Formats: sequence, C-alpha cells, structure tokens
Amino acid sequence: MAVNYDPALIGRVFETTDPVPVTAEMIAKFTEAIGETNPLHTDPEAARRGPYGSLTAPPSFAVTFRNGQHFFQHVPRFGKQGFDAGKDVEFVAPIHPGDSITLSSHVKEIYEKTGRTGSMVFVIVRSTLKNQNGEVVAHVDHRFMNRT
Amino acid sequence: MAEIKTVKSYEDVQIGEALGPEEMYLSKDQVRSYARATGMWVPRFTDDEGARKEGLPGMITPGNMSLAVLSKLVTDWVGTSGARMIRLGTTYRQPVLPDHTITLHGFVTHKNDDDRTAEMDVWIESDENERLVIGTATVQFPK
Repeated sequence: MAVNYDPALIGRVFETTDPVPVTAEMIAKFTEAIGETNPLHTDPEAARRGPYGSLTAPPSFAVTFRNGQHFFQHVPRFGKQGFDAGKDVEFVAPIHPGDSITLSSHVKEIYEKTGRTGSMVFVIVRSTLKNQNGEVVAHVDHRFMNRT
Repeated sequence: MAEIKTVKSYEDVQIGEALGPEEMYLSKDQVRSYARATGMWVPRFTDDEGARKEGLPGMITPGNMSLAVLSKLVTDWVGTSGARMIRLGTTYRQPVLPDHTITLHGFVTHKNDDDRTAEMDVWIESDENERLVIGTATVQFPK
C-alpha cells in the first residue's frame, strides 16, 4: 500500500501556542509527582552551586507542555485506529523557573512499516519548545501509529 | 531520600554498565498526582471506572509519566556532575498499570569518544517480566 498525503504538509508549522510561564511551584509539583530527588531539580541552594547556577526542571518536564487546542486536527490519520506509540525528545537547554515556553508544531515525517501484525503508518509530529529569548530548549517528536 | 551519586567522568563509563535495576511501586495515587501536576486529569489516568468506559482494563499510567521515570533513571545515574541527558526516545509497547511494582532497567550500549557521549538502552519491566516501555538515551559528558 502506498501512503498518500500532501507533501506540502511536511515541515509546515501548523500551530504555535501562547507562551506558558513556568513557575517554581509547577516544577515542585512535577518533581514531587515523579519522586525526583536530584538536588539540581529540588533544592535551589544546591542547584546554585551546580553546573547551571540555578534550579532547573528535570528534563522530562519538557514533555508536559500541552499542544494547542487544534493540534490533533492537523495530525494526518490513516486507517482505522491511531495510537501514541512513543516520543523522541532532544533536550537542548534546561528549563528554569521564570521561563516562558511556546510550542511550534509541524509534521516531520510520514512513513509506512510492515510488521508481524500487518501494515502500519507512522506520523511524526515535532513540537519545538522555545523560551522567552527565542532559544530552543527541546524538540519533542510525537510518534503516532495508525493501523491500516 | 535516595542518594544521588555524583558520576564519574566519561572515562569511567563502561560499555555494558547497568543503570538500576530500580524497583518502583507505582500507586494509583502517584499516577493521579502526576496527572494533576501536568494537566492530564482525564478518566483513563485517574479512575478505573472511567478508564473501563474507554475500553481499557482500568486506570493506566500516562506515557509521559513512563518517559519521566526512565528519564529519572538516566539522570540519577548522571548525578550532579556536569553530564547532561541530551536525548531520550521511548516506545510504548503495552499499558503500564498502576498498583503494580515495575522495575527500571538500563545499560550502556555505546561510547562515542569524538563527542564524549554515551548511549544506553532503558526499559520498564512489569512484575511479570514483560518490557512495557523501551527506550534509548544519550548522555553528553563535559570536555
């Protein structure tokens, strides 16, 4: 089966979210929920003496930023069912309390794979996170699997 | 409070070296606290009845939370040294059900001397020895 889609979809940013301010409280709730104990993420005093000079969010905090309301309308669907198959995250720079994060999303790649259970189409949507200075802090690739 | 060891330099990292294994009892309350902290308060992550209405066996752990515990496995291994996890990729193979003990595993698969990075496989194993979530991570060490 050939996967049919409009090639113009690839690489075009379809959505940029409003900035989300990151507070120390948000990071504290997150670290508590995952049982974080690394002082670089939990103890401002210790973090000041650490490699980043101040408290930073654990890397996985980067995946907690919500995509926009219309995100899923822009994710191409193939076949009957879609699943969240996984994520691939590139951590570019740490996120600090006081940062303000925006997400810009585009379809990065669409490809087909045939496995034991049949044919699957994967859609990779990349959300790039930037801080208030326009610096990229992370790329989050969402991998959606469709069974055809 | 778990002790965070300060890692070692790039030179100390051994191919085949283990991360963990670390046992973790993932309670429903902990999953709910993750859902609350990250704005994912939806039935599939917060209550069994609501999850069953969506065709699931019961409440499940958000994929992002599985990613977060694997991320923590790597960052605990890195410790408070200047080394940094620069990439983590995960594949969700099966739902992670709360109120079970999971085990976090990993081992170093490659070292790249040119850019002083180490790569590792990481995974979440169920109490029935099934790999529920698998992944790979890259850690960059300071020069």
